[in-house]
Amino acid sequence: MASNTLNESKQLATWYFTFAFILFGAQLLFGLVAATQFVMPGFLFEILDFSVARTLHINALVVWMVFAMFGSVYWLLPDETGINTIGIKMGKLLYWIFVAAIAVVVLVYIFVQVGPADETTIWFIMEGREYIEAPRWADFGIVVVALGFVANLFLTGMKGKQTGIVTVLMADMIAFAGLYLAGMFFTDNISIDQYWWWWVIHLWVEATWEVFVGAIAAYGLITMIGAHRKVVEMWLWIEVAMLFGSGILGMGHHYFWIGTPEYWWEIGALFSALEPIPLVAMFVHVLYDWGKTQGAEEEAGNSASVINNKPAFTWFVLNAFGNFLGAGIWGFFHTLPQVNLYTHGTQFTSAHGHLAFFGAYATILIGMMYIAVQGKNNIKVLKNTKSSIWAVSMIAGGVMGMTVALTIAGYVQVLVSRAQMGATWAGYFDGQAGMWFAQGMDWRLVMGLVTFLGFLLLAKDLLTTGKNPVHER
Amino acid sequence: MIDPSVIRPEIALDDFLPIFLSSALAMLFGGFYVGIYTAVKVKMLKSWAMPIAYLFWFLTAYSLYIMGSLMHVGEFTAKALIVSMIGYLLLPHAVYHMQHQVHEENEH
Repeated sequence: MASNTLNESKQLATWYFTFAFILFGAQLLFGLVAATQFVMPGFLFEILDFSVARTLHINALVVWMVFAMFGSVYWLLPDETGINTIGIKMGKLLYWIFVAAIAVVVLVYIFVQVGPADETTIWFIMEGREYIEAPRWADFGIVVVALGFVANLFLTGMKGKQTGIVTVLMADMIAFAGLYLAGMFFTDNISIDQYWWWWVIHLWVEATWEVFVGAIAAYGLITMIGAHRKVVEMWLWIEVAMLFGSGILGMGHHYFWIGTPEYWWEIGALFSALEPIPLVAMFVHVLYDWGKTQGAEEEAGNSASVINNKPAFTWFVLNAFGNFLGAGIWGFFHTLPQVNLYTHGTQFTSAHGHLAFFGAYATILIGMMYIAVQGKNNIKVLKNTKSSIWAVSMIAGGVMGMTVALTIAGYVQVLVSRAQMGATWAGYFDGQAGMWFAQGMDWRLVMGLVTFLGFLLLAKDLLTTGKNPVHER
Repeated sequence: MIDPSVIRPEIALDDFLPIFLSSALAMLFGGFYVGIYTAVKVKMLKSWAMPIAYLFWFLTAYSLYIMGSLMHVGEFTAKALIVSMIGYLLLPHAVYHMQHQVHEENEH
């Protein structure tokens, strides 16, 4: 393997991780602005309104995760395939195109904000759909970048060693890129429009992204604790089967109230009930491999920890637990149509969104950043530091605190806005006027600040790891 | 005055908290069931803990029953929940069996 080209792929991965981390910070900052506006509605009024801050908050979330996912693939590809990443120069060029496009889109969101609500708005300012509001010119740019990324992955995967992890990633990433196309066109009928929009949002996060997490967890377990590849990949195939088996038709829980036929109630209920099962399996997967690998070492008379990257492993374990908690428990709270009728569109959804995106994706992507930092600095054993421990504690505690606060606020909305006042105009406002809702929003802001402070510590830890003598080299 | 036709009476006001708690407990107990089952199998816990795992499965099923009853789920959803619980009971056994076979093939 030509090490210089190998380094190029990993170098490109670190670029992706770096920009992802910057966007992660932006996501938290704009989230703080939006959270402040719940408490002080006049904050930045007509300068950076809630609608703009929220757009930036949720789009930065999606984009930083996509950047970190691309970075993760570029990082693991040479390790898994045993060859240089093919087309790495094109990959680098596409990276800069991607960064430039995102920078322009963000600047337009901040400084232009709204358009005349005609075709020029859709093409040059924003498309107006949650999570994928990028204007259409950027959509095409994203498709080109994604296709280039998929080409890198496929050309390398087909020529090199086709491990289970790479094979899963190849199938998963083509679905990931292809599904984006479903969010690029409009129909006049809002039900049909939303029907296709969910193909991007749901099938990304509850199918292709979850499968991606399974593949990354498999790679991480092999890299960090030396878990047996065949065992890990066996788990991966089971997870893929369960995730796609339940996740694809689990989309029905988004079709309850958008004007689609009522048979989606049954489909959504059945597959939503099954959706937490793979999340439990993923949780157990980590426990199983850790127990087996550590147990084998201890049987051989070696009591030392098998973990060679403690911070990354902490984030991976947090991922297994957080995925189960955020996507599983907080999802199952309100996934059946009988109760979703009341919870839909309340802060319950927001609570679930915060914990699920954090638990299922942010955690493992931060773990991959630690693996990259370890590899980049040739560290044999990366240890926990005070910063890494405080960072993970404050970020996880902050997100959990926000989730609990939003859940309480959502509960008030369910009782007042929906059950007592029947989803009326007056009910909408009365539900938000109560003390519990207001205090829920206060605590969400406080916990958001805790999360942001944790992020600053995480940045410090990642940036100083290379020079920290505590790690074994 | 709110038009009574817009109020949905399917779930009693006092039942929302038990519904949310029972759905959370169903998942939590389910996690304990699979977690303890696996921990015993990989010898992280002694074998006497296995009945506790099955107790957690029972608690999972009971929580789900409470949740479904309070929600007044329809016949189809009730059947779906029963199938889910039976599947959930069997799944760790099937997955562990496959894993164990793969592990044995590679270790011995």
